[in-house]
Parts: sequence; structure tokens; C-alpha cells
Amino acid sequence: MNAEVLWYLPYIVEGICWTFALVFGGLALGFIIGLPIAIGQVYGNKVVKAFLNVYVWFFRGVPLIVLLFLFFWGVFPAMGMKLSALTTSIIVLGLRSGAYQSQIFRGAIESVGEGQVVAAKSIGMSGFQTIVHIVLPQALRIAIPGWTNEYAILLKDSAICFTLGVMEVLTRTRYVAVSTGTYLLPYVFAGILYIILTYAGTKLFNIVYEKYRIPGLIGGEGKYG
Amino acid sequence: MDNDIVLKAENLHKSYGKVKVLKGVSLEIRRGETKVIMGPSGAGKSTLLRCLNLLTKPDKGRVWLENVELTNPKVNINKVRAKIGFVFQEFNLFHHLTALENVMIGLTKVKKLPKKEALRKARETLLTVHITEDLWDKYPAQLSGGQKQRVAIARALAMDPVVMLYDEPTSALDPQLVGEVLQVIKELARKGVTSLIVTHEVDFALEIADEIMFMNDGKIVEKGPPGEVIFNPKHEVTRKFFEKISKPYGVGKYGVLERISPSII
Repeated sequence: MNAEVLWYLPYIVEGICWTFALVFGGLALGFIIGLPIAIGQVYGNKVVKAFLNVYVWFFRGVPLIVLLFLFFWGVFPAMGMKLSALTTSIIVLGLRSGAYQSQIFRGAIESVGEGQVVAAKSIGMSGFQTIVHIVLPQALRIAIPGWTNEYAILLKDSAICFTLGVMEVLTRTRYVAVSTGTYLLPYVFAGILYIILTYAGTKLFNIVYEKYRIPGLIGGEGKYG
Repeated sequence: MDNDIVLKAENLHKSYGKVKVLKGVSLEIRRGETKVIMGPSGAGKSTLLRCLNLLTKPDKGRVWLENVELTNPKVNINKVRAKIGFVFQEFNLFHHLTALENVMIGLTKVKKLPKKEALRKARETLLTVHITEDLWDKYPAQLSGGQKQRVAIARALAMDPVVMLYDEPTSALDPQLVGEVLQVIKELARKGVTSLIVTHEVDFALEIADEIMFMNDGKIVEKGPPGEVIFNPKHEVTRKFFEKISKPYGVGKYGVLERISPSII
């Protein structure tokens, strides 16, 4: 093994900043897109539902790497937009995560019982008030475990953005491996980094889940319900 | 419309697919009255109650609250519903809110009361249904069935409704918890809260109802003073129903009722 490779490990670690930009940018954009889609899919009329289904169907159906190439070299240039690899990657991850997150939120919204909605209406709440004050506060709590899973998946999907040359963990790992001619250590190291980030992130979301968990809402008195 | 009549329904019809649940039901309630609807499962009692605040939309027929016609599509139904208290068999308390917040949310979000005033009103109403301060910050899952139902009554009552509709309010409760809920409903009725109650509790109906309406197969078969409808019904179907529910094990003429309150019989 070439000992020189050890000098470059901090360089790989710095890639976490880019990885986080991709993951949290993608998650945030996915949330902004996914939640309204879920609401539309549950409460919208036929036209709205059909339109949203096409969106979800497209972004869940096309491989991430194809989406990245499509938007970076196809869609954005065709629209006359010159976006950096990082921006393009965040947008694509967000558009795609929005499709997945919409299904997490849809399931959560649908699991809020009909009785809750009927009770809200019975005290005179409008449909909008019912969604905002009764359904979403419950649904979002229910969605946290599913959302945690989405973080774990998105974190590892972000590695594919190396194909556009975003300076995230995997891109840097490849540079180090190729330039030092040492392959095993850098990739094992990158793998461990992803494991740690996954573990830390899911742990963090579980703390949030516990903090906002309400007895009986889901899982009763159980720890992670 | 007679000024004293606060709730009126005329010729309500409702079908689910081919099943006709309501086949032309009319009723009216005057201010301060307590009316009880009884009848076998599937008679359409719950559907009728839900049609009265349009939680279920009747296929045909009209409903008025005071002088507003709910079934008029131009009427803002949310505003009218805020004036009709509804108590569900399954309580339907908001899971994510404490007992106090459950009562407050209608006051702050629907009635737009300032928080301080809503808080005062919610506390006062909870005390009316005997929910003491130690329970105010509990979530629904931490309350007993009887406590949940009383909080649900408070949630409806705090809105100062014109009429309270109770849909089998004790059917989902353990037997030892039924009494505390019936007691609260009775107290409210005595205070002059206009009430329409669907229930299977014969003794309770005998005690508080100004009128019992007996429903069967989507229609009100007969109505009248409770003693008359229960003990001296005009129709065979009514007689059979009360005979069955008053002596489920076939003991004595009126079963349990005979032993508990022989004076009534």
C-alpha cells in the first residue's frame, strides 16, 4: 500500500460538506415539493391527482443517473440555464426526493383517521383549517420515521452525483484512489464515512421523533413506536 | 318557522348504493328540549344525526337550524356546524392535543377568540363536565373512555351550540364508565341545553327525555312521551325492541329494569 494515501484522507472528509449540501438541499426541496403533492393526491380532484401521479410516476421511474444527465446536459441547457453541477444535482435530487417524500406524506395523511376530520368539521373548521390544524400536525409526526429512511437513502444516492463532478465524498475518493494508485483503503474509508453519516443522521431524526412524539398517536407507549 | 323550534328536518332521504338508510324522516326540536332517538342497529339513527349537521349529505330533504337552511348550497356550512355540538360514539378527540387544547382549538381557530378568553372558557367548560385540573394537560390516550367522552362533550359545548347532538355517546365505553357520561349529559339537559340523543340506555331515556322517537328501517315509527313509547307502544316492532333490550336474558317482564326501578313499571 502506498502510505502517501493517508495524507489525503482529510481531503475526502472535506467532501462531507458537499455531500451534506446535496442531501439537505435535496431533502428540503423534496419536502417543499412532496408535501403539497401528498395533499393534492389525497384531497385533490381527478385532474390534479392525474397530473401529480404523472410527476411521481416519472421521477420514481427514471434512474437517478439518467435524471442527472438529462437535466445537466439536456433540460437546463435547452431552457437556456447554465447551472453548476452542484446546483443541478441538488435540484434533481430534490425533484426526485419530492416524488418519494410525497408517498411518505400521503401514507401518513391517510393514516390520520377519518374520525379526526369529521370531528374537526363538526366544530366548524373549514377544509383548509382541518388540514393545517388537525391533519398535518399528526401526519408530519407519523411521517418522521419514513422521512428518516428517506435521509438514509438520499445520503447514499448523493454519491451518484460524482458523475457530474460534484466535489462530494465519492468524487474525492476516486481522485485519491486514481492519483495514488491505492484503491482498497480510500473506498473502505469512504464506505465507513457513509455508514457513520447514516447512523448519526438517523439517530438525530429519532431524537426529533421522540421529542415530538405524542402518547397514543402512533405506537402508544413504545419507544420508537 | 316557529321561533321556539331550533332544529328542524323535513323528509330526509339517504341511500348508500342500493341500500336506503333514511326513508323520509322529519323531526323538530324546541329550545331547551331533550329528545331521544332509539331503535335497532341499522335503523338509520347515526345517519340521521349526521344528516342534521351535514356531515353526511342527505339525498333529499331539508334541514334548518334556527332560521338558516343548512341544505341550501349557498349557506356557509362551516359557520352553521360551529353552532351544532356533535358528540361521537368513538369520541374522536384530536390525538395530538391535550384535553385543554382539544376544547380550545375550536374557540381560537373557528370562533377566533383571543387566547386568554379561549383558555378561560375552555377551563370553565371542562369543569362543567367534571374534568378536573389534573387532567387538563393529558393527551387523549392518557385518559379513560369516560374522561375522553366528557372532554369531547366539553369541546362541543364550549362553542355555545344551539343544540347538542349525541351519537350513542356511551356505546364505546366500559360499563362502569357509562354512568359518569350519562350524568354529565343529564346535568346539561337539566340546565336547558337543547339535546338530541341517540342511545340504547332505556333508564336514562326514561329519566331525561321529553320525547322518544323510535326508529326502524329508516323511518320514525312512533314518537311520544318516554313512558308511553317504552311501556305502551303502539307498534309491534317497538314493543319487541324494548322487550328485547330490557330483558336480554329473558328474566321477568322488564328484566333488570324491574329490579332496579320497579316503581316506574
